[in-house]
Amino acid sequence: MNKKVLVVDDDPDVRSFVVTVLEENGYSPLVAHDGVEGLEKIKAESPDLVILDVLMPRGSGIRLYRQLKTDESLKDLPVVMFTGIALRSFLKSQKALEEFNGEVPKPDIYLEKPVEPEELVQALKKKIG
Amino acid sequence: MSANKILIVDDEDIIVRLLAMSLRSDGYEVVTAGNGQQALEVLEKEAPDIVVTDIKMPVMDGLELLKRIKELDGEKEVIIVTGHGDIDSTITALQYGASDFINKPVRDEALAIALERAKTKIHIREQLEGYTKNLEQKVAEATEEIRRRASFQRLLIHSSNDAIVAFDREWKIVVFNPEAARIFDVPAGDVRNKMTIEDLYLPDLAKMFKAEAEKEKRQGEMPWKEMTLNLKQGGQFPVRYAVNVLHEKGEFVGIVNFFQDLTEIKRLENELVQSERLAAVGQTVSGLAHYVKNILIGLKGGSYVVDVGMKKNNMEKLKDGWGTIKKNIARVSDLTQDLLTYSKEREPEFEPCFPNEIVQDVVNLVYDAAKGKDIEIKADVAPDLGEVTADPRTIHRSLLNLVSNAMDACLEDEDTSKNFLIEVRTYTEPDNTLCLEVRDNGCGMDDNTMSRLFDPMFSSKGGKGTGLGLLVTGKLVEEHKGRIDTESELGKGTRFTIRLPFETVAQETLETGQGG
Repeated sequence: MNKKVLVVDDDPDVRSFVVTVLEENGYSPLVAHDGVEGLEKIKAESPDLVILDVLMPRGSGIRLYRQLKTDESLKDLPVVMFTGIALRSFLKSQKALEEFNGEVPKPDIYLEKPVEPEELVQALKKKIG
Repeated sequence: MSANKILIVDDEDIIVRLLAMSLRSDGYEVVTAGNGQQALEVLEKEAPDIVVTDIKMPVMDGLELLKRIKELDGEKEVIIVTGHGDIDSTITALQYGASDFINKPVRDEALAIALERAKTKIHIREQLEGYTKNLEQKVAEATEEIRRRASFQRLLIHSSNDAIVAFDREWKIVVFNPEAARIFDVPAGDVRNKMTIEDLYLPDLAKMFKAEAEKEKRQGEMPWKEMTLNLKQGGQFPVRYAVNVLHEKGEFVGIVNFFQDLTEIKRLENELVQSERLAAVGQTVSGLAHYVKNILIGLKGGSYVVDVGMKKNNMEKLKDGWGTIKKNIARVSDLTQDLLTYSKEREPEFEPCFPNEIVQDVVNLVYDAAKGKDIEIKADVAPDLGEVTADPRTIHRSLLNLVSNAMDACLEDEDTSKNFLIEVRTYTEPDNTLCLEVRDNGCGMDDNTMSRLFDPMFSSKGGKGTGLGLLVTGKLVEEHKGRIDTESELGKGTRFTIRLPFETVAQETLETGQGG
């Protein structure tokens, strides 16, 4: 049984790329377009890992991360966090994360785009095999 | 009175003593001499104010003494004591310039009167001398002051940084300073008192200033204005200029023109604009690098998917990856276009166009994308707005930018229960102003974001914006001599209004166009 990995990203190009990488490396990809859909999919499909874009419209990436890490039943779900691309947005997401640093642990894996397929696969292998 | 020292000259000692006694008792200081010769010695030593002398005396008589005294000092008061019937001597004494005569025997009252008269004369003369001296001094001082002022004014005009050209009532040039000589490139010597306004200025300018003189009935100053000064012998200067029409007692006496050469200022202004633009581009570069990186990521991701598609012969993947690549190629193309637009001077290309049709084009262009994101977009155009002369590209680009911003604003809105709506309106305002309005009910902006909207590389969209969109829009609108107004409320939405001047296309052109 392949491990299930959920990709939460509003950018269809990123989704298509990550999904292809996952397929090529023996994972079963699931996709969600934003944080709200992401949480629904997590509850419905129980993925083994979530690849989450921090910077999505309506701050839903950050919010989903907080929801996951403050929920007893979900807080152990491994999260690969994608940082935003532009320096400005990177800083913005950093700041947003720091705001609840006290209550929420840092992401398990922190990847900055652009991500080479090998880099992503390595991170996944290390976390969920 | 000051004339107090009196010299009495008589060879009769007794008379001398009696007179001296009498005068001293009247308060005079008295010196004496027995004849003319002695008198001259005493005169030199004692410098009496008044001399009273007998005529007939040994050694030197009174007439000779009088003559000598008058030679020494023409103003000296000499009173002659004459005997009865001595008319000849009296006449001679008069000719020599005697001040007064008293008869022998000398009576005190007669002498007193004569002395008073002499004293009065001396006093008046002294006063007059004082006045005259004073007057000369004053005239000299005033002359010096006038000379100094005139030279100061000359210096002032001479060294002024403004070119100063003044005309008298016959329009002859009477003042032409070195700066004027520099600007007009004619030596002052060839101009001053030789040229008239028509010799120096081009006909238009001469006419304008003459009209100004006609218009200005009272002494008046025109505010500074700017123009391009064209020279008679060719060449031109950007100048600020002012005109003063001069009147004296209500009568026109001349006109003064001031010119300030703005060449250097204009050059600096241009440099500043250029360097500001460069600085803006500099700031833009760092942000752009990230945006370009973003595009690269898309291209790399797309090519990876294409590779997989080819390897697996998977048409789905091929299409997917190829779509990503094409999309990012379009982004590079848009970016290049924005950069070119922003970095280049561009003159609007005015041509007849239908703004309402452009609005419809833009709405159609983004309709599907908006629908995919649950955003409704609609056009609300002024039905009476027909064909106008404006730059259709400015309208199209600006609207597309604003509409795409409006879509982002809807996507960023936390309140997903809203029915997102973007409206693009057209209407006109008086004075041929075309208004293009893009309104959304998305997330809105705070004041900080609003104030930085037109800053280079400011983007509130993270990596998804170049920070160039509004900058380019602002520049296009500015070049079209229009303006953009922004109203926004956090959580409620935003309204951008572009106001562009336009010209209506004449009805007959329209009809001809339709007929053809």
